[in-house]
Amino acid sequence: MTAAILANKRLLATLQLMADAGIESAADGLSQMIGRRVIMTVPKVTTLPFCEVPARVGGAEVPVVGIYLACNGDLGGHIMLILQQEEALRLVDLLLDQPEGVAVEFDPLARSALAEAGNLAVSFFLNAIATVMGISSRPSPPAVIVDMAGAILDIMLVVAGEFGDEVLLLETMFRDADRHIKLLFWMLPDLLPLQDLVWGRG
Amino acid sequence: MEGAIAVGLGELAISARPESVLAAFGLGSCVALIAFDSTRKIGGLLHALLPMHRNGDRNPTKFVDTGMIEMLAQLSALGVRPKQLDWWIVGGAQMLTAPGLSDRFNIGAQNIAMAQAAVERHQLRLVGQDTGGYQGRTVRLFVADGSVVVRYVNGQQSVLPNPVGS
Repeated sequence: MTAAILANKRLLATLQLMADAGIESAADGLSQMIGRRVIMTVPKVTTLPFCEVPARVGGAEVPVVGIYLACNGDLGGHIMLILQQEEALRLVDLLLDQPEGVAVEFDPLARSALAEAGNLAVSFFLNAIATVMGISSRPSPPAVIVDMAGAILDIMLVVAGEFGDEVLLLETMFRDADRHIKLLFWMLPDLLPLQDLVWGRG
Repeated sequence: MEGAIAVGLGELAISARPESVLAAFGLGSCVALIAFDSTRKIGGLLHALLPMHRNGDRNPTKFVDTGMIEMLAQLSALGVRPKQLDWWIVGGAQMLTAPGLSDRFNIGAQNIAMAQAAVERHQLRLVGQDTGGYQGRTVRLFVADGSVVVRYVNGQQSVLPNPVGS
């Protein structure tokens, strides 16, 4: 069944539309928040075997920072923003409007700044999707997790793993050219509601 | 560590080569089941994602219950008897602890419980365990001597109890 969902062209096209609308808006939101232009890659909607997911962030043991939000509503799913740890600290400096190198650890202030960035990016993302497509969902409070990439990704993969060996992944990279910050944006939509959404709405 | 065989999500590896190191990198809520036959120097590592097999899923090693059966079958195909094996359970952390957003099902705890139940059901000998908590782990089994080493993201390492060395 999962394979059938993943192979459905109409569903993938719908997702791509949502991704395009949502991601551009999220980039705008981040740009406003840090006061610099944030550029992004064209959002990709792909499927891949779940065991290959950690390799996309450089391996399961790489220390990263994940900002996780669940979304609930017409479009359910899991969103994770992933940064390398040094780049996350640079982002904290930007968010707190301080010179590069001031943030050296993930203390409560740093975590709360990152949580706020995640919250804002995802709110912009979901709001644009609601405006453009009439699909409304709410984000959960953000969680900031500093750990090995594999451990962080387990949060999303346990859900995807119940439905098969492949995940449906919406992926974009945000980039701040000046400070060399790369922020990977992933969404794993819940497959069953997505299916209802596409067929149910015609 | 160079040369380690990475056992990915939902995978199982068995090795009888003394130079082998079997590793599960970045375990979060996932659980690793590790077995070692100290007389014949044969080791196995299962990296399971979920506690219980779902109907129709074709990948038994994604789950603790069916993965364990597959692991025992592969080991016995090499002539290993379950009674000869020492077992370790590693992983099963709770990765999400933010207020209002706790891991709905606490899969980590379920994975540990299922692994322990499987060890009991098959009457196996559990010699060490490093489970639960709120942090990810990497675990390695050195087939040369059966040592099991756990590493955390802060670089801290611990060697699990090993009946051979003690």
